[in-house]
Amino acid sequence: MSTASLYTRRIEVSADETKPRKHQDHHLWKENLWRLAIVAVLIVAWQFAVDFGWVNAFLMGSPGGIAIEAWRQLQSGQLLSDTWTTLYATIVGFLLGSIGGSMAGLLLWYSRHVARIIDPFVVALNGLPKISLAPMIIIWFGSGMLSKVALAFIATFIVALLSAYQGTHQIDANLVNLMRSLGATKRQIFLKVVVPATLPWIISAFRLNIGFALIAEIGGEFIASDKGLGRSIFVAGNLFNLNAVWVGVLTLMLVAIALYLVVSRIERHLLPWESR
Amino acid sequence: MTLSTPLRETAAIPSVGADVAIALDHVEKHFEDKQGNPIPVIRDITLDIREHEFISIVGPSGCGKSTMFNIIANLLEPSAGSITLRGSHPIRGAHIGYMLQRDLLFPWRTILENVALGLEVAGVPRARRLAMSREHLERYNLADFADAYPHTLSGGMRQRVALIRTLITDPDVILLDEPFSALDYQTRLVLEEEILSILKSFDKTVVLITHDIGEAIAMSDRVAVMTQRPTSVKRLYEVGLSRRLGSCLKARSDPRYQTLFDQIWADLDIQMGGPAS
Repeated sequence: MSTASLYTRRIEVSADETKPRKHQDHHLWKENLWRLAIVAVLIVAWQFAVDFGWVNAFLMGSPGGIAIEAWRQLQSGQLLSDTWTTLYATIVGFLLGSIGGSMAGLLLWYSRHVARIIDPFVVALNGLPKISLAPMIIIWFGSGMLSKVALAFIATFIVALLSAYQGTHQIDANLVNLMRSLGATKRQIFLKVVVPATLPWIISAFRLNIGFALIAEIGGEFIASDKGLGRSIFVAGNLFNLNAVWVGVLTLMLVAIALYLVVSRIERHLLPWESR
Repeated sequence: MTLSTPLRETAAIPSVGADVAIALDHVEKHFEDKQGNPIPVIRDITLDIREHEFISIVGPSGCGKSTMFNIIANLLEPSAGSITLRGSHPIRGAHIGYMLQRDLLFPWRTILENVALGLEVAGVPRARRLAMSREHLERYNLADFADAYPHTLSGGMRQRVALIRTLITDPDVILLDEPFSALDYQTRLVLEEEILSILKSFDKTVVLITHDIGEAIAMSDRVAVMTQRPTSVKRLYEVGLSRRLGSCLKARSDPRYQTLFDQIWADLDIQMGGPAS
C-alpha cells in the first residue's frame, strides 16, 4: 500500500455505480503488480551487486543481511518494543498538538483582537525549526518518553493552530450572514459554520503533522533516549551496522504509512461531503 | 415623485392587500473611501412594500441594488431615513428570509439538515425539526434527496432547497437577490414558475432584486425601476401578469409583457446613455 493507492481509493468510494469501480479495482491490481515488480527488481539487483562485490555491503547493507537482522530483532522482541515506544510517543504528541492547536486556532476566530496581538509570535514560532528546542526539552523533561511527546507536541501545535486559524478566514461571509439572518448567536455560528467549514483545513494539518511529529520524535531520540526506533538507528549507525539501520528506517516507513492510512480513514469519516 | 401606472386596470390585484409590510422612508446610504470622504450609494429611497405582494427591484448594474438588499435584510444600517416593518416595528426585530444567486447550502449538511437549519438555530427539538423538514421536502417532491449532500444536486434543485430552507422558518418578508442568474435559461424559466408557485402557497411578501427585466415582469405584482448610482426609485409599474394569468410563461407571452419590457428598457437605457454620476 502506498499513499497513491489511497487516492484511488477515495475516488472509488465516491463512485456509486459498480461498473467503474470494478474497472478501477482492476487498475489498482495492475498498478500494485508493477510496484511489487519494481521493489523485487531493486532487491534482487542490490543483492547481486553485493554478492559480486560491486557494492560494499559494509557501507550499504544488503537485503539478505537486513532480513536476518530484522528476524533477529523480531525474535528478541527489540524491534516491537522500539516500534511501540516511537509510535506511542509520536501518536500522543501528535494528538495533543494537533487537536490542541486546532482548537486554539478555531477559538481565535472569536477574537480578532487577540489573534492580531499574538500573530507575530505565532509566525516566529512557526518559522523556528522545532528540533532546535530538543536539547532544552530534554533537560526539562528527561531522556524518557515525556520529552519525545513534548517535542512532537510542539512540532504539531503551531502548524495545526495556523492551519485552523487560516481556515476560519476562508469561510464564506455569506454563510455567516445567513446564520445572522436566522437570528443565530455567535456561539451557534461558531459551532454550525466555523467548525465544520474549517474541518478540511484541520484534517490537512493532521496529514502534515504526521511527518512533523515523526521528525521531532526521532530527532529527540537521536539526542537522548533509552528506547525507540530513532535510538536504534542512531546506535546502529555509530556501530556501522548498516543492516540494523535499514531495519529501523524501513520500520519507520511502515509506521508513517500506517499513520497516513489512519488519518485518511478519519478524513473519510469526518468529511463525507468532500467526496468530490 | 411621479409614478406612472401604465396598466391602470391591474391596480386592483386579488389577494394583495393595501397594508404595508415594509416602508422605506427617505433611506440614504453612503460609504466612506480611504480618505474618509462619503461615497453616496443610495440617494433617497421611499418605497412601500405591500403585504403579500411580489415586488421586483430592477436597476442598472452597480446601481446599489445590493446595498438596498443588505439594508432590507438587516445586514446594513441606513445612513439616514428609516425602514419600518408593519408601521410600528423597527426593522431590527423582523425576520427577513433571503435567497441569493448562490444557494448557500452548507456542503457538510444533508439536504434534510440544510432545510432544518433555521429551526435548529431557533431551538426546535431535533425530532420535530427533522419531521417538519421532511414534510416540506415531500410537499415539493424533494424527499428523495433528503439524505443527499448538496453537491450531488443540480443548481436548480439546490435553489429550490434553499427556498424551502428560507420558508420553513416563516419569515415576515422574503428577499430574493438574483436567485436565478447562475442558472441556464431553460432551468431559469422552469424555476421561476416553480418558485412563484411555492411562494404563492405560503402567501408571502416577496422582494426580488434583479437586473433581468423579463424575469421581473413575468413574476411580479409591481416593478420598481431604479436610477443609476446614487440610486433612488425612478418609476413604479403595476404588473400582476402572472398573478392574473396563473403562470410566468403565460405572462411572458402576453402582449402587455412586451410593452412593459420596452418601457422599462427605455427607463434603464436613458440612464445608461446618460452622463455617469
